[in-house]
Amino acid sequence: MKFTESHEWIRVEKNIGTVGVTNYAQKELGDIVYVELPKVGSVVKKGQEAVVLESTKAAADVYAPVSGTIIEVNHLLGTASEMVNNSPEKDGWLFKLSLSNPEEFDSLMDKEAYQSQINK
Amino acid sequence: MRTQLYEHHRALGAKLIDFGGWEMPLQYKGILQEHQVVRQHVGIFDVSHMGRICVEGLGAEALLDYLSTNQIAGKKDGTATYTVWCTEAGMCLDDLIVYRQSETKFFIVVNASNRQKDLNHLLHYSVGKDVIITERFVEDGILALQGPNAISLISKIFPKASALKRMEFISENYRGKEVVIANTGYTGAGGVEIYAENQTIVSLWEILLEKGQEFHIQPVGLGARDTLRLEMGYALYGHELSETMAPTETVSAWTIKWNKSDFLGKRALETLEKLKKKRNQYGIVLIEKGVIREGYPVFYNGRPVGQVTSGTYSPMLQQSIAIISVEKKLNVGDSLDIQIRQNLCPAKVVSLPFIGTVGH
Repeated sequence: MKFTESHEWIRVEKNIGTVGVTNYAQKELGDIVYVELPKVGSVVKKGQEAVVLESTKAAADVYAPVSGTIIEVNHLLGTASEMVNNSPEKDGWLFKLSLSNPEEFDSLMDKEAYQSQINK
Repeated sequence: MRTQLYEHHRALGAKLIDFGGWEMPLQYKGILQEHQVVRQHVGIFDVSHMGRICVEGLGAEALLDYLSTNQIAGKKDGTATYTVWCTEAGMCLDDLIVYRQSETKFFIVVNASNRQKDLNHLLHYSVGKDVIITERFVEDGILALQGPNAISLISKIFPKASALKRMEFISENYRGKEVVIANTGYTGAGGVEIYAENQTIVSLWEILLEKGQEFHIQPVGLGARDTLRLEMGYALYGHELSETMAPTETVSAWTIKWNKSDFLGKRALETLEKLKKKRNQYGIVLIEKGVIREGYPVFYNGRPVGQVTSGTYSPMLQQSIAIISVEKKLNVGDSLDIQIRQNLCPAKVVSLPFIGTVGH
């Protein structure tokens, strides 16, 4: 699992990445009431806004940690947006994408680096 | 700036945010949960950032009546009145509550962001009048205890509170200090607001949290305070009311008592009414999933007609609700579109409040 400075996480298996936001992010955002997911088939570039998380207080952008094509979105969030709060790094995953530039994954932060960043 | 309960909020794990220069709790356990606690049980809020000003003397009643859109003169002792104050140009200076202890003894409670402005306004119009104005910004605190169990809880400490009808208040004694308990509130859930000097407020916060355990009490932050008041369709200064809005253009227009011989801004408002070119505020709900937010443009039949003044997700209705300000006269049931980022999303005009009130 790797992390971005903007609090996204990504797990990659056989060039398919699963993306979500970290526990730190969901705590900062508060109760998520709606998740605006991307269209399956859309192409995203690393750093591009892919998802909008609506909490009671504000709307927050989630950025694609790597470039690729969206192949699946977590439909369960349509009726259970609170999963992003309750299980941000597992059941609350947001989308899956097939990586177009796998080297982008290698340059992301590992868990230790991310932990020390949020502890600053 | 911090209230005297700042350390208590930190100890309770509150998420503190900047609120107009004040470091206040946005939430403790979570906005949705705190909102439900108030609707179902009882919640306690620290609203000590709001300003209390005492207005006393033979000229107090006439002065307050002149400054207010609502009727102040001749009301019963021990009652509170919600009102708007206007500038001479008929724009909203603030919304506030006037508490009448007697014909010559009042206090008002104003929005935190307008404390100094309202005080200056009062001082300006009190010149030459038999009125003594004393602000109690630093020495006093304010708590709100709201929810179906609030009255039962407060009555455990102050039994006379159980007899309070809506907008009535009493002055009690707690360990030798004065405490005002009013059946007022900003949530529609029922309950009281409590005014006292700082140390007493701290003691009451602690004892209410303790005695309130059997009533499932929780501390509630400003995040839920906003979702609660919006479900009731109540105005928030800086959103539905501001110095660029006349009260006639707002959800607080009902406070205007046109039969009063005069009040500051009346003439300007009469002129504005004759022009018939004013804005109106309505409550709307989003038909589909999403969240409407302040500032989002409003479209009617494809034409831009205004913007959202306040918007959020309603935990009770489980959909997004909002108040809009538009240059059109609309009716309940009318269809509109709200621009959320790049999309036009369908919404519908509904009557206010969005939800039913508790037992009043």
